[in-house]
Amino acid sequence: MRRGRVNRSGWYLVNVLVSGIGYSNMSDMSFGRVLLGELEQEQWSENVHVEDLNFGPIMIYQWLEEFPVKFDRAVFLTAANRGREPGTLEVYRWIDPQASVNEIQACIGEAVTGVISLENLLIVCRHFGVLPEDVTIVEIEPQKEDWGLEFSPVVAAKVGEALEIVRSEAMRTTADERG
Amino acid sequence: MRGQSISALLLRQGNSEGQLGRDAQVNTNSKNANSRMQVSCDKSEIIIMCFKNLPIEFDAQGVAHLKGGAIDPYGYQRREINRDKLKEMMARNGHIKDVSISPVTRVAGALSFHAVADLQERKFLEANSVATIFRGYEVILKGRDPRDAIYISSRACGVCGGVHSTAACEAIEMAFGISPPPLGTVLRNLALALDFLYDHPLHLFLLAGPDYSQVVVEATNPAMWEKAKLTEATNAEVHQHKTIGDIMKSLNPLSGGCYLDGLKMTRTPREAYAVLFGKYPHPQTVVPGGMSSTVTITDFNEVLTRLQKMLDWTKRMILLWDDLTEFFYEFNPEYKKIGALSPNLIDLGMWDDPDSYDATYERCNEWGEARWATPGVVIDGKLVTTKLQQINLGLEEFVEHSYYEDWNQNGNQRYLTDPLGAPLSPNHPWNKETMPKPSKESWKDRYTWDTAPRWDRQVVEAGCYARIWTTAAAGMMPKNDFLEATGHSLKIHMPKTMLREMDFEWKIPEVWNAFERNRARAYCMGYNLMIAYTMTLKAFDYLRKGEDKVSTKFEVPKGERRGVGFWGAGRGFLSHHLVLDKGAIVNYQIVTPSTFNASPKDPFGNPGPYEQAVLNTPIIEDFDKPENFTGVDMLRAIRSFDPCMPCTTHIYGGEREIIREVNTCACGAEG
Repeated sequence: MRRGRVNRSGWYLVNVLVSGIGYSNMSDMSFGRVLLGELEQEQWSENVHVEDLNFGPIMIYQWLEEFPVKFDRAVFLTAANRGREPGTLEVYRWIDPQASVNEIQACIGEAVTGVISLENLLIVCRHFGVLPEDVTIVEIEPQKEDWGLEFSPVVAAKVGEALEIVRSEAMRTTADERG
Repeated sequence: MRGQSISALLLRQGNSEGQLGRDAQVNTNSKNANSRMQVSCDKSEIIIMCFKNLPIEFDAQGVAHLKGGAIDPYGYQRREINRDKLKEMMARNGHIKDVSISPVTRVAGALSFHAVADLQERKFLEANSVATIFRGYEVILKGRDPRDAIYISSRACGVCGGVHSTAACEAIEMAFGISPPPLGTVLRNLALALDFLYDHPLHLFLLAGPDYSQVVVEATNPAMWEKAKLTEATNAEVHQHKTIGDIMKSLNPLSGGCYLDGLKMTRTPREAYAVLFGKYPHPQTVVPGGMSSTVTITDFNEVLTRLQKMLDWTKRMILLWDDLTEFFYEFNPEYKKIGALSPNLIDLGMWDDPDSYDATYERCNEWGEARWATPGVVIDGKLVTTKLQQINLGLEEFVEHSYYEDWNQNGNQRYLTDPLGAPLSPNHPWNKETMPKPSKESWKDRYTWDTAPRWDRQVVEAGCYARIWTTAAAGMMPKNDFLEATGHSLKIHMPKTMLREMDFEWKIPEVWNAFERNRARAYCMGYNLMIAYTMTLKAFDYLRKGEDKVSTKFEVPKGERRGVGFWGAGRGFLSHHLVLDKGAIVNYQIVTPSTFNASPKDPFGNPGPYEQAVLNTPIIEDFDKPENFTGVDMLRAIRSFDPCMPCTTHIYGGEREIIREVNTCACGAEG
């Protein structure tokens, strides 16, 4: 059943959650969190909700559970070291890794003890059934990961592109969203 | 030799003249250090007999002096660790195995544990606790404005940031010569009771609880599970679990009722905390001289509503842990040996009396003893002091088995005495420097980033259970409607909500082990809740009288100043020692509960609390071959301390490596 609203052009607008995840003051690793500030300043259509989710994932799960809007899609911006060329920007749909009970339990254990982590958030929220099916990750490969307020030049050069990708993913329509 | 110059200097300063002629040799023998002290709780004796190993004595007025006759009063001989015999046994016997658990799961952060187990004799022969990461908050804070310590040190923990902020504030207040107005103190007390109402359930139901769940018990001790299903729970009428088996099912991770309720109940105190402290877990409103929150009757009503929500659940939970503990003891008395230690406990107390707390070191014994949790040290089950000054003087940190350099090598001891002229060890936090020295892991030499804090050169453990113990034993708690410290117990009166009003009594236990740590933590829920309740009522009183000021003006002093925050975390003892000069931090030292509990061996050869608790733990679990050995008894012992370590963890999920670069809990490591 469609939960979105219809816009003037007759397109269904699905409810989209947008956030940037990461610790602050960790140079390139703070990419999502820093750019979240930019995203919060923008004018979004009423179906897009930009929210700071940089808290323990249990808090996020409890917030999503009570939030009056049920989201159809989530777009998360983050940084992760996966051995790629620094500055590499990737967009992918998150596939549930089907974590075992022990792995989920470990994620919850970390969540309640203060860990902020996108993948932890995804596993915990998916387990409790509050995460939309459609989750898109916009992810940058960091160069500088230690303490610091600035991005490295290769990552700083990707700020505009990353924001544009988040915008387009947030506003993306799919066939079944057309009215 | 270190310390040689100290006695000479003290003589020149006149601090111990007339005392130095007496025979006084520091006792560094580990066996003697742990033997029973002939002390009583009588206050006059406490003053005289507080220290056994340190070269400090007190005169009839309670003034501390260095004992006479010692050439090197704080010197000691390091005892070497010899593993040759153990290695030989391992080579000769296939049933003696290395057991390495890295990381230990369901603890806050990264803790590794190495043990050697004799699976035939069912006992542990060696145990090493390893904090794997250096955090270095002490290094980060050097040279900064002291006010930065409030916000930076808060990041030392992802659960209890507010306790670090508050400890930093108390250290700053002592150094600045300021103190909060009464409502400012009440606000801090209230928020940090709420903090623990988050902390304890998450440990009892999400971290330690699964060790006692059906899935674990059925797998590691099937006979016990069969018995549990048939054993009626004594307090079923209150907690609504008919049998012990039902309790165990309820503790099953992800699906059990207690597990899910525990998760849910973390929300309520967090919300109340955010009302007062602005946000959780790192408050923005704790400032030197009080709080920056603007609070009204409405805020306290919001808090009160949430406290009332927690009352019934807390009543149920205390009795549930009572029933579970008694069942294990009854099923097999050997369970009393899991995580067993001689009760050597330390706590700095907390929750200041708003009329007593003036943040001065000179009056710290008075305002310390007026706290709602009484400071204290318990040795072999006996309370030996409740004086903050004595607790402070007895504190030393050792790094012989840690990845740090000895800061005493240059021979310059910053402070020979505390601000009252009492002798201070070169290993005291006011004298300590953090000098990281990464090196290869060696069980004989250095193997952890944790240090070895000791009190009077004895191994002591910290925890909320130490707080309830020292408070109960001291019997000094301010008179109130809900809590009473009797000298041997803490009585907790919980008012009627949906459940009837109920009275609980935590009694100082006859044995000290993993089960009693968890049971005491459950009772601490009631203790914290009624502290929060009492503080809320006090806040209403102050507002009614028009005393709504929550902060005091201050200026950052430019001269050399010292301060210490004597406080407590959810997991117990927390101290922040601060030295300022020219308006900036010259030295900052944090000692947390897990610094004590996860500590390595000290130079006298005594294992740290986790290590000794594992060495005392029998292997009770059922296993037919070594591959099926789970180490659940060892893990129960370790988890009962509620470890809080620095975090960095990897798990693998699907095609993507799940990466966590975590900057939260540093409670177990170096600040």
